[in-house]
Amino acid sequence: MNNTPSPAPSEEFAPVFVNSRREALWIFCVWAVGLVWAVPYCYFTGYDESVDAATFSTTLGIPTWLFWGILVPWIVADIFTIWFCFCYMQDDDLGGEPETASATAETNSDAKGDPS
Amino acid sequence: MNGLSFLLAAGTSNAALWTFLLYTLAVFGLAALSNQLLKSKSFLSEYFLGSRGLGVWAFALTFAATSASGGSFTGFPAKIYTHGWILGLWIGSYIVVPICAMGLLGKRINNVARTAGAITVPDILRDRFRSPSFGLLAVSLIVFFMIFNLVAQFKSGSLILKTLVADVGLFQNATTHVGGWIQGIGFLEGADAGYLICLLTFGVAVIIYTTYGGFHAVVWTDVMQGVVMVAGVLIMLPLALLLVGKMAPPGTGALKFATTEMIAMVPPEIGTATVTINDTTTESLAIQQGDWLRLEDKSSDGPRVFRVTRTTVIASGTNQASEVPILEIMAPLDKTRVLENPANRFRDDLRIIPDSLRLQSYVYGGEEDRNGNGQLDDGEDRNQNGKLDHPRKGLYVTGPGPSAKPKDVNGFLPLSLAFSFFFMWAISGAGQPSSMVRLMAFKDSQTLRRSIFTVAIYYSMIYFPLVIIFCCARILMPGMEGEPDRIMPAMAVFLTENIGAGWLAGLLVAAPFAAVMSTVDSFLLMISSALVRDIYQRNINPRAQERSIKILSYLFTLIVGTGAMLGAVNPPQFLQDIIVYTGSGLAAAFLAPMVFALYWPRANGTGCIAGMLAGFAAHLSMYVAGMFGENGSFFQPYQLFNFNPIIVGLFTSFAATYLVTKCTAPPPDDLVKKYFYQQTKS
Repeated sequence: MNNTPSPAPSEEFAPVFVNSRREALWIFCVWAVGLVWAVPYCYFTGYDESVDAATFSTTLGIPTWLFWGILVPWIVADIFTIWFCFCYMQDDDLGGEPETASATAETNSDAKGDPS
Repeated sequence: MNGLSFLLAAGTSNAALWTFLLYTLAVFGLAALSNQLLKSKSFLSEYFLGSRGLGVWAFALTFAATSASGGSFTGFPAKIYTHGWILGLWIGSYIVVPICAMGLLGKRINNVARTAGAITVPDILRDRFRSPSFGLLAVSLIVFFMIFNLVAQFKSGSLILKTLVADVGLFQNATTHVGGWIQGIGFLEGADAGYLICLLTFGVAVIIYTTYGGFHAVVWTDVMQGVVMVAGVLIMLPLALLLVGKMAPPGTGALKFATTEMIAMVPPEIGTATVTINDTTTESLAIQQGDWLRLEDKSSDGPRVFRVTRTTVIASGTNQASEVPILEIMAPLDKTRVLENPANRFRDDLRIIPDSLRLQSYVYGGEEDRNGNGQLDDGEDRNQNGKLDHPRKGLYVTGPGPSAKPKDVNGFLPLSLAFSFFFMWAISGAGQPSSMVRLMAFKDSQTLRRSIFTVAIYYSMIYFPLVIIFCCARILMPGMEGEPDRIMPAMAVFLTENIGAGWLAGLLVAAPFAAVMSTVDSFLLMISSALVRDIYQRNINPRAQERSIKILSYLFTLIVGTGAMLGAVNPPQFLQDIIVYTGSGLAAAFLAPMVFALYWPRANGTGCIAGMLAGFAAHLSMYVAGMFGENGSFFQPYQLFNFNPIIVGLFTSFAATYLVTKCTAPPPDDLVKKYFYQQTKS
């Protein structure tokens, strides 16, 4: 069985597909980094069985485990989002408004095999 | 009247009513404006998708407001109040939710929708794989999940509205009259008259403006609702810190003081008691939810303090009510605060019979070393984990957080659930069809980039501040565990009353109302679009005229909305559980097929249909196993390896899609070319 779609060899992937896929991979990695940092950090420093009011650590009034486990990563994630949105993400052409959506008495173009 | 009710009466009465009226007028104004747009553009694309023309503010705020349902402003504050700082970790994945939910699929789904001419999510799947049956399957699942969710959201909106207007004289009079009218009317018998009035008001308002205005009305009201929500939080945060700061010793910051006080807190005990009055009553006497009671106890310092958790009536001709639901405040500092607060009115006309007390500790964090020997004795290991959890301090400032639910023997948020929730908010958020529709509606890539940034800042201003506000609420308003869903409006009234600005309470309480409204209108439109576009136009009558489509769109939106409203007259009990089930079920069914459809040229219809069905079935099977297993309830699902069912559903769906695709024929070349390759002009 042939498992690979086979468009003409000279054709290239659309830039919007290539860029979207690359950006999605970045985003997935950021989520994974957030997961690997936040949950283990909070677990190892915030699931303490013996808390003493005199020695319990807070930063700006927030439990220190939560400050470094969630609040600081939240700020870092916001900074990353700013960089990602304004410096990394590409402005791709998403295509025009297709005729099929605007025509109410439309026919189903795909049903006729029209690749538009 | 108890303290809270007294405050509500003083603070919200007319302000709340005026807020609601102004708010409703604004919503109808926006609907009228957007109806004008319908006259100048293609009806179907405009009505269901806003002609793909959303700019930054409209797109960002409609996305944020739709995602933040009533749960963000009722359930979430209730959880913070009940479990403490651990909710910071529970909501932790919101650090990346905006970029994940909008960025993972956003640009690509918008591009594919344009290429296909798709207006709805089933449209995309149908056209991407040229498979009408896939489109119908997607429609069926959306309608199935969304209708249940819609009923739950209608109930949620009505309850919030009821809280908002509970002490308005007009509303109370109307409740009395309606209560008389519905006597003897079949399915309305036994329903709460106040709730019915709010359901009717809320339902009619949402149905009319959604039906009349379509997508743009929903988006514009979302923008307004988004602004109300963030304004509510940003006003409450400094007020909460200000009031806690007044209680703090000099030189200690407000938040530091709050956290230190929380270290000493222990959970209340929950149960029932028999309550008596001195003389037999000639008229029935209500013991209101929220009433305070005290019981002198010579063996300890000061009296024991109790709060009624559900309204109970002492019948006429008797002098007592048995099994009155109550909770007992256990933390000495909390007791002192309750006793010293003059706003807390104690029912000294009532007396608890000590021998009738039946109290239970929290399953996690409620154990008590009764003989003070510091060891685990018989009967002290309530959660049977081999450890004496109480009276260790710091339950509310560390994980996993205290919990009263029988299933939470390992605490509110054990490690496995912390992982599950990090997965759930960020990843399953991307898999919600209601989010996908919005991703199909933005104007261009630049709009998407700026909107992701806007939503990231917006969520930062809402979610962590909410954790701070409702941790402060533990200090300011002890004893709310019996009615945690009312903590948001109660806190709004408390804060504004204490700074002499009761009129502001109406605006603050409007925030959760706005959150529910913005979710309901979106879901309503989504179901009607599935019926009109995906079933009628694409399968029954592809050549339907614009006038027919228009009439059907209005009609279906009206019918679905009215049906959901009638369903909410006697709504199912487990409101939040239904919302969680439907949200996670949609993600389990839709995320994997959509990801593969957008990013894998080799993906085919058979594989994606298999993935959708497998995700749906795996997720459902966890709930069914919970019902027939030891949990005994559909809404207490079986947790494989202690993970939430969403993890099982998503894993199964991704694996099934991949494996079935690899085992079946590749898609036609022309489809791959159309959606993945540069189009050459002929």
